[in-house]
Amino acid sequence: MTKYIIRRVIQAIPVLFGVTIVVYAILLAAPGGPTAKFNQNPRITLEMKEAFKKAWGLDQPIPVQYCRWMGFCNPDAEGLAVFIGPNGWPNFLPTPLSGATTGVLHGDFGFSITSGELVNTTITRAALPTLILAGVALFVWLVVAVLMGVYAAIHRYSLFDQAATVFAYVGFAMPTFWLGIMLIFLFSGPGLNILPAGGMTETRLSPPFGSDAYWVYFGQNPIEAISDIGWHLIMPVFTLVVVNIAGDSRFVRASMLEALNQDYVRTAKAKGLPGRSVTFKHALRNAMLPVVTNIGLEIPFLFTGAIVTETIFSWPGIGRATIAATNNFDYPVLMGILLISSALVVLANLLADVAYAVIDPRIKF
Amino acid sequence: MSDPFRQHELTAAELRAAEAGEDYEVGLESLSQMQLAWRKFKSHRLALLGLGILGMLLTIAIVGPVVLPYDFATIPIPDKIVYEGRPPSADRIFGETGGLQRDVFRLVVNGARTSLFIGFSSMLIGVIIGTIVGSVAGFLGGFIDNLLMRVVDVMLSLPLLFVILVASRFFGNGNVLLIVVIFGVFSWMGIARLVRSQFLSIREREFVEAARAVGVRDRRIIFRHILPNAFSPIVVSASLIVAGNIIGEAFVSFLGFGVNPTTPTWGNILSNALTFIPLGNWWWPLFPGVAIILTVLAVNFIGDGLRDAFDPRSRAI
Repeated sequence: MTKYIIRRVIQAIPVLFGVTIVVYAILLAAPGGPTAKFNQNPRITLEMKEAFKKAWGLDQPIPVQYCRWMGFCNPDAEGLAVFIGPNGWPNFLPTPLSGATTGVLHGDFGFSITSGELVNTTITRAALPTLILAGVALFVWLVVAVLMGVYAAIHRYSLFDQAATVFAYVGFAMPTFWLGIMLIFLFSGPGLNILPAGGMTETRLSPPFGSDAYWVYFGQNPIEAISDIGWHLIMPVFTLVVVNIAGDSRFVRASMLEALNQDYVRTAKAKGLPGRSVTFKHALRNAMLPVVTNIGLEIPFLFTGAIVTETIFSWPGIGRATIAATNNFDYPVLMGILLISSALVVLANLLADVAYAVIDPRIKF
Repeated sequence: MSDPFRQHELTAAELRAAEAGEDYEVGLESLSQMQLAWRKFKSHRLALLGLGILGMLLTIAIVGPVVLPYDFATIPIPDKIVYEGRPPSADRIFGETGGLQRDVFRLVVNGARTSLFIGFSSMLIGVIIGTIVGSVAGFLGGFIDNLLMRVVDVMLSLPLLFVILVASRFFGNGNVLLIVVIFGVFSWMGIARLVRSQFLSIREREFVEAARAVGVRDRRIIFRHILPNAFSPIVVSASLIVAGNIIGEAFVSFLGFGVNPTTPTWGNILSNALTFIPLGNWWWPLFPGVAIILTVLAVNFIGDGLRDAFDPRSRAI
């Protein structure tokens, strides 16, 4: 088991490495480069552009830039010594050994070109709202999909089952952002103005989310603050999870139907166990095996889904940060976000495999 | 529902011959793979419905813009701006947008052309790249196979919509053809894996061995013997790509990084609608959204039908 996990982790490393190269290549191939945004500005001269490139190390050859960005190279050294960190150990080793602090390998994604702050700061600031949104969405998604799937499997071909089938087809074909727009019209349009159309908190009641003043306010009225966020969460969460619920409730249903047809379920029934116990203890637990893997693989897409959901509902998270960075050609921020989300995909794949191996005792290594 | 091998009802003459104990010839109706598949497809009601809807949408996409042209530059700017727009009425069946007061029906019809064009042609690019990569990997095997499959692994580890979004912003310039290429370049990985796995299993089969034994060249083996057998899974997965890319294009255009707003697509019509929705312009986003849902539903139904039709285990005729 441990061997298997170690092998999977080692296999994931070259993939992650490839991801960094692809991410770097895409952003590098972009026309204009990081100075493109100055082209419209007549007050910025060619010399200033050169100075800008020099200041950010953009005048270096591409492999050097990549090497520095990754943290294999020591930006302060010359010649072959670039691979040696300040402590005399190879530069790519963790900070306590090599003394190096720059580069992705040392958890440093550089500086944002637009704001000049650390990419880490930008991402951490945006991460909390996205984690709140994605966390709640994940919870709702799992509970609803499993309940719907199990109920539809037990009452197969019932009215509910057929309605769920239609919902699955339509939900799967629906662009989530369209659903978001229609929800805004329905619940915060001119007719039925009951839910907030956007934002994370009521701006008239509290300071902006994430500021120091907000946490003071949060400490004073925690219940009010949480219910305010919860109120703002309803529409974004619903928008975010509909596609997943549509797909997964069918998946749970299929998996559950298969489990209900197994011999051990018949045995349990024949022994005279009550129906509820058979359904939930014998069938459901086994039906959840493929579901766990499937859901593990889908979790990273909550973050992609968050891009558009956050845009529609003005949610101050990673999605909004991505859109802003894309608009401003803010390479370091984009590379950081792209890399982190790719790492999440790889990690989710890994966890799904391992989880499957852990919960299914029939799998041998 | 009947067995494909017993489609032939015995004729009266044959019955008589059989009763008399004489020899007779059974006139077996022989069907090609494609005919069999078509028969099964026809019995899939939802797939037929999907085919009908898609046919209708394609007709609208081809004919519509000729009848109802939308040229951004020549459409007159209204004297008085009505932010609330106009709800659907007899002469404007999908209503009028707020702001510039565009005819929503005209927008949706013109959007159909761009959106469907992007969906189908990017699928074509994806299928071509995927088939080439998959064939090369599956046929050659060894180091090249390993290398190509690791590339596929890496590409599949990227959050694709995210990458497409960034790529569209950087390389797209709002140009339809460039957007098509970007979507195509990021939608071949599934096909490549599929074609490779088909190659791995088919190249070991007897008929390939036989072809090789009589000295058929590699290229002919690939194109005449192996690829036609890999056809059905490719078609099924291509239908999924079309659906995915139509939604994907809408997503990217909605966020303002896709096709230039002067060329309507279903995505950028929705994008403009977002600002006006609190004023009550429900008809503006409703119709392009319904168009997307209909298209994707139709394509998915067709995909389901194809899957069943090509599946040798399903024998519904």
